[in-house]
Amino acid sequence: MTTTAQPSRGQILLDRGASLPLILPATLLVLVFLVGPFYYMAYTAMTDLSFANPDQNGAFIGFDNFRKLVREDTIFWGSFWRTIRFVAIAVSIEFVIGFALAWLIWRYVERQRLLTTLLLVPMMLAPVAVGLIWRLLLQGDFGMATHYLRAVGLLSQSSAVFSTPSLVMPTIIAIDVWQWTPFVTLIILAGLMSMPRSPFEAATMDGAGPWRQFFDIMLPLLRPIIALVLLLRGIDAFKEFDKVFIMTGGGPGTVSELLSIYAYRVNFKTWNLGYGAAVSFMVYLVVLILCSVFYKAVYWKSADQRAQA
Amino acid sequence: MSKSWKILAFGILACVLVIALTPYVWILLTSFKGRLDILSPQPTWFFTPTFANYPAVFIDKEYLPLVFNSLIIACGSTALSIMIGAPAAYVFARTDFAGKEDLFFFFLTTRMAPPISIAVPLFLFFTTLGLTDTIYAVVIAHTTFNLSLVVWMMRGFFAEIPKEIDEAAMMDGRSKLGAFVRVIVPLAAPGLAATAVLCFIMSWNEFLYAFILVAFEGRPLTVGIPGLITPHGTLWGQVAAVAVVATLPIIVFTFLVQKHLVRGLTFGAVKG
Repeated sequence: MTTTAQPSRGQILLDRGASLPLILPATLLVLVFLVGPFYYMAYTAMTDLSFANPDQNGAFIGFDNFRKLVREDTIFWGSFWRTIRFVAIAVSIEFVIGFALAWLIWRYVERQRLLTTLLLVPMMLAPVAVGLIWRLLLQGDFGMATHYLRAVGLLSQSSAVFSTPSLVMPTIIAIDVWQWTPFVTLIILAGLMSMPRSPFEAATMDGAGPWRQFFDIMLPLLRPIIALVLLLRGIDAFKEFDKVFIMTGGGPGTVSELLSIYAYRVNFKTWNLGYGAAVSFMVYLVVLILCSVFYKAVYWKSADQRAQA
Repeated sequence: MSKSWKILAFGILACVLVIALTPYVWILLTSFKGRLDILSPQPTWFFTPTFANYPAVFIDKEYLPLVFNSLIIACGSTALSIMIGAPAAYVFARTDFAGKEDLFFFFLTTRMAPPISIAVPLFLFFTTLGLTDTIYAVVIAHTTFNLSLVVWMMRGFFAEIPKEIDEAAMMDGRSKLGAFVRVIVPLAAPGLAATAVLCFIMSWNEFLYAFILVAFEGRPLTVGIPGLITPHGTLWGQVAAVAVVATLPIIVFTFLVQKHLVRGLTFGAVKG
């Protein structure tokens, strides 16, 4: 062999040729089974396709569905703002509690492995099972949680949580907090563990109190991880379906009908596929926007910091 | 002073642990309860256990095949995702090409895609192919989101292997593919195993795609669960038994991959 360590131009081309078959199957699969459906959805959204009405066999109607959705559909906007409120409230609570727990574990617990693993149980359960567990616990006649809520006076004797409209969304938020706070704890804890020690030692030397250290050193150091946690949770919460579907199915009435449940109802209960595609498209759009914020905020910035380091 | 703070911290953490675990313990207990113990308005913590719920739902109601469906779907989509995703991740870790980071981000968006948006066109697409109500449809649907998990996680694991190792292997006359299969994959085996377990968990827990794509034949355990809930007279002991079987393997797996969980959940952004 007479090759040198320095690759020639030809070798780089050869190398790219060898890379192509490695990356092509993955790209193709995504193109066929995700990008394809996406464009098909966008197209369907501009038709009047409906399986319930034989007259509506998929004629092209332009942006009529979107116009109707945005201008007239109060149920859509109701579920849209309900979903936004759900995401904002649930993720904020999860963040505050999760951060506090991570800090407590980081500060006081030496052997964290078993504790964190046990804490993770709620978020590793299938969301369907989580919905099921809470449906049983909050069952009106013999639910264990219902019994104790009544015993401490938080719930009146004859009422049940899921049949009291004003309690349904707060309960769903509480259950989401129960399930996903461990996620925040786990990732913030990883961030805390990877923090350098020296700035804190220097600050202690300079006489900075714990609050100053928290706001001036810890929070700036954790900023990329905090952005990451908030965005990942935000995107996931926005897509919430399984738990709510099992626990309430969006009811009573439409009290707990989140956007994805509404999209499901339009598509698979009324079989109004053209209009349903328009709803699905809006859901996708919001997620896509959140997703590019995620990319810019987390990966871009962390690459930037790596370059500076 | 510091000691009492520590006791307070442990007290808080103990309470949190109780809140986190009690609901799951309750479903475990319920799966071993008879009908009267379940329906008692006073919560029963101590009771004579019965094992009747498990055979009643898995044998008599024929839920056992659903467990196998779940297994086949999870294993199938994991294998497919790893086989297609790992080579792509290797290219992302090693080769520079125009638009590389854009393509990489494109893989992330597939992960984030809301199932409810993709499921409908996918449903129509599989209907045309005659694949609805088959395991294949769900395997493919689950591969779309697991693939990006593999690409994102494995890129990090491959990048940690020094470049000199593949150069040495190629110097020894191996092709790029040969170097990847024979040298790099064995070195990345622990990361690959952790990624595989995470893929398995994601697929096993998934509900919406499976719920829309398969109704009877080939439906996994998660899709079987809603069918057991009826407006009146739900047999909660049996429901609990299904829930336990659907969740216990995952808890065991969580213990196995805990070290890599952070990386998996953050798409490699946090090493953990």
